[in-house]
Formats: sequence, structure tokens, C-alpha cells
Amino acid sequence: MNQRAGLGETLIKVLLTLLYGVPLLWIVLTSLKPSSLVFDRASMFVFTPTLDAYANALNSELFTALRQSILIAAGTTAVVLLIAVPAAYGLARTRGPLVAVLLGSLIVLQMLPQTATVIPLFQLFGSWSMLDSLGGVILADAALLTPFAIILLRPFFRTVPVELEEAAAIDGTARLGTFLRIALPVARNGVATTGTIVFLLAWGEFLYAVNFFLSPGTYPLSALLAQQVSAFGIDWPGLMALAVLTAVPILIVYTLSYKLLRDGLTVGAVK
Amino acid sequence: MTASADTRHTPPTTAGPRPPGRGSRSRARRGGPLGTRAWFLLPGVAFLAVFSAIPIFQLVRMSVSEVGSATLNQEWPFVGLANYLEGFTSGAMVDAIVRTVVVAVIVTAVGMGLGLAAAIALRTKGRWSAIVLAGMVFVWALPPVVNGSVWKFLFAEDGLINTLVLLTPLRSEPIPFLYDATWALISVALVTTWAVIPFNALVFRAALLGISPEIFEAAALDGATRWQEIRHIMIPAAKPTALVLLVLTIVYGFRSFDFIYVMTYGGPGTATNTLPFLGYLQAFSRYDFGLGASTSVLAVLLVLVLAVLYSRSILKEER
Repeated sequence: MNQRAGLGETLIKVLLTLLYGVPLLWIVLTSLKPSSLVFDRASMFVFTPTLDAYANALNSELFTALRQSILIAAGTTAVVLLIAVPAAYGLARTRGPLVAVLLGSLIVLQMLPQTATVIPLFQLFGSWSMLDSLGGVILADAALLTPFAIILLRPFFRTVPVELEEAAAIDGTARLGTFLRIALPVARNGVATTGTIVFLLAWGEFLYAVNFFLSPGTYPLSALLAQQVSAFGIDWPGLMALAVLTAVPILIVYTLSYKLLRDGLTVGAVK
Repeated sequence: MTASADTRHTPPTTAGPRPPGRGSRSRARRGGPLGTRAWFLLPGVAFLAVFSAIPIFQLVRMSVSEVGSATLNQEWPFVGLANYLEGFTSGAMVDAIVRTVVVAVIVTAVGMGLGLAAAIALRTKGRWSAIVLAGMVFVWALPPVVNGSVWKFLFAEDGLINTLVLLTPLRSEPIPFLYDATWALISVALVTTWAVIPFNALVFRAALLGISPEIFEAAALDGATRWQEIRHIMIPAAKPTALVLLVLTIVYGFRSFDFIYVMTYGGPGTATNTLPFLGYLQAFSRYDFGLGASTSVLAVLLVLVLAVLYSRSILKEER
């Protein structure tokens, strides 16, 4: 591939570096500032860093929220994979008009505005006694992300040669066995990619959490942040510290899975 | 494997004698047109029926009923299209549709343009490109509440952007990014765009990486300029992907609400009440669930049109 970088390309790179670098840098810098200097022009970049905001943020409320976030994200990922992996495999190995109907429905479900589903789910969860419970939020998040997960996973299962499974079947492996022992290991990259993305999205989900948990005491981090940022008289260093603490687990997951994300994120969209 | 490859397309009823070693079990496994793998779909279908299909049905029912917070779990009186009429006659729905279209147009135009530009600029190997790409994917991975919070801070009256703007001779007073009706809608749309560019860039990147290096070599031999390479090699290569991505980006812009929730909560006044967010506010701030449901049904219908377009292009590609 051509390696010359033109002037236009360099300008685009500079623009992107600023657009994506500055906000990331700014969260971290602000979280290290004392409140009095947040809007001080002289100390925009040069100031004595303090961990006050973090010390203030690290209270029992935060640890409860962190625990809720972990439970919701991990629970949602588990439920979604349990349902979406067999479904994607089934769709990849099925032909006929049913596939088109199911895929079409999945696409519609994936595109529904979340603000539309939160209204009836709030009512239904109320009558099913599932409000204010971890299980309710996990199931709602799982329903939100399952269509996307199936669409993303299906192409990975389609790349598993049918012949591999047939060979195993001749050796007497049962239907479930060919799925578990042949198809699943071959498609494991897809499962890992999908699991990672579902975890990230469930970690960031806040609309269901804000509405289905009835008091901030049980909010996950994302909901806590959403509540604090829309309040009046924002304590910016505190908010940015909370933002950094919300982002740290994402940074860990991201670091472990960057290549999967970079190469796998777009598979469901265009294949 | 040739034997199994050509029998795969033969319907089982007309299949001739099979090679030795293939019992009736393996024939059943390949099955008829639906195959025998269809039962793997059952848990998914059951789960989505309960947690997606029933809610949509309920949303439609609510939209033609009188539902307040007190009557939420009681019998709802049927009111026909009264909720829809209220939305239209009050003007709220029409205003919201206009705002939604403005947001979707900004997100689509800038998101597609900069997405492609980013993919072209970051296509080259090298540390700088790799770091920028990694940073963009990280931003994509961050929760929208985190990104929204930062931009709300950057856009503040005495925030970083206004501080820099005031250093230039262009303006003598801060830009009211989130306090002026027009600016607020544009700001929210631009942050929404900013958040989708990484994804679009990755999609375009995959398309560009598929171009064979010989084509660039041939172009170089013919003395093609940089712009000619982009115009005649890269853009045509990205075109099939671009059409699919276009629909995805429109839908994304259309249904996006998280940055509105975090940065303006629909304000100032009603300036950033897009259709999805208006429905949410009507239900959860005004506690008029019937009205909110009718606005949401409209949003769902508009997305449905786009979803059908998208499904058709995706399913066509498959055949």
C-alpha cells in the first residue's frame, strides 16, 4: 500500500488527534484539579495536582455503584451469550424464508429507540414485580443487546465449514456435541468479540437503570454519573473523577481486547 | 469433501444413493429447507418474544389509551387517536420531528464524511495512525455518559473551548453552546457525530484494507496523484459498504438520546427535544404515558422504514 502521507491526510490526523485526544486528556486533568482552579485560566494546564476529588468520590456509595455495574455488565453478558450464541448458530445453519423473516425482525429490534422500549418495560416490570431489582435491569439490558449480538455472531458461525461438523457427525457425535465441540471452538473469536462489546455496552447503559431502580442508592456507575451531570451546580472535579472511575474498568477490558474490537466491531454491520 | 459439497444442495427426497458410511442420521442433520438446527433458535425467540415483542405490543396499546402514572397498572380507557392528535395539535410532535431530522442530517453528513476521511488518513502504517485509531476505538468503548459529561464541561461558558475562542479576535463573548436553542441542537448533534466517527472509520477502514496493493502500484506507475487515488480507487472501493453504513448512521442519528439526556436534558426550553427524547419526557417527566407512547410509536415507525431498507440491502448481499 502507498505510504506517502499527503498534506490533507496529515491535517485530518492532526484534527482527529485533537478531537479525540483533548477530551480524554481533559477528563484526567480536571479530575486532578482542586475545585477552585477548574475554570481558572492561568492554571489551565499547569497546577499542583490533588487527589481530593478521588478521595471524596471513593465512598461507600461509589463501591455500591461499582458492584452494581459489575453485576449488571457481567450478568447481561452471560444472559446475552447464553441466548445469542445458539441462536446465531441456528440462523447460520438454517436456510429458507424463515431466516429472512428472523433476520429482518432482529434488525428492527436492534434499531428500536431505547426511549420507546423503556416506557412499556417500566409498566410491565411494575406488574411483574421486577422493578428495583438487579434481575429486571439485567433482563432488560439483555433484551436490548441480544438482537445486536445475534447479528454480530452469525457471520462467525457461517465461516465454520459444514464439512467439519459432518465429519464429526459420522464419528457419532450428537447434534449438540457438534455445536459445542466443533462450531463453538472455531467461532470463539466471534464469541469473545461479541461478549466484550456486550459487556462494554451494558456497562454504559443508564436509561433502564435510572428508571427501573427506584432510588440512587442502588444505581450503577453509569446511572450515578447521568444523575449527577444533569444536576444543578455541578462539582466538576468530582464529576470527572467519577467519570474516570467509570472509565477505568472499560480501559482494562479495552486493553485486553483492542485487536478484537478493531477488527470485529464492524462484522455484524456489513456482513 | 467434494461428495458432501454437492449433496448439500440436493433435496433429501431426490438424493441418490449415498456414499457408504453415511447413515440416515447424517442425512437428517442436513435436513430439509429449514434444517434441523432450527431448534437452536428457540431460546432466543422465546426470550425476545417476552422482553421485546410484548413490550412493543404494550407500547402500541398505551398509545391509544389514557394512561397516567396512577393508572399505569390498571385498566386503561381506550381513547383512539386522541394522544396522537394532542401531539400534533400542540405542535410538539412536528417540532420534534424537525429537530430529529436536523440532528440526523448533521450526524449523517459529518459522520460519513469524517469517517471516510479518518479511514483514509489512518490507513497508512505508522505509530501516529495506530495511536489515533486506538484512541478513537477507546472513545467508542467509553460509556456515552462519560463522553457527554466531558463535552458538557468543554462546552461550558468558561470551559476550554470558549476560553480558546475568546483568545482569538473572532468573538468577544463566549459561545452559548448549550444555552442557546440553535447552538444547543447543533452542539448535541456534533457530539453525537463525534461518538459515531470511530465506528464509521473502522467500517471504511475494513473496506480500504481489502484493496489489493497491486492496484496502488499500478496507479503509482501511471503517475496518479494522491487525490486521483482517493477519487478513483478508495472511494469506489468503499462504496458498497458506504450504502449500508449510510442507513446505519441515519438510524443512529435518529434514535440517539444519550447525549441529549446528559448534556441538555431536552433544553434549553424544548430546544433539543428530538422525537425519541420527547416521548421519554412525556412519559417520565409529565407522567402522561399514553402521550409518550404515541410519540414513541411514531419514532418506531420512522425507524421501521429505515430498518426495512437496511434489511433488504443486507439480505440481498447475502444471496
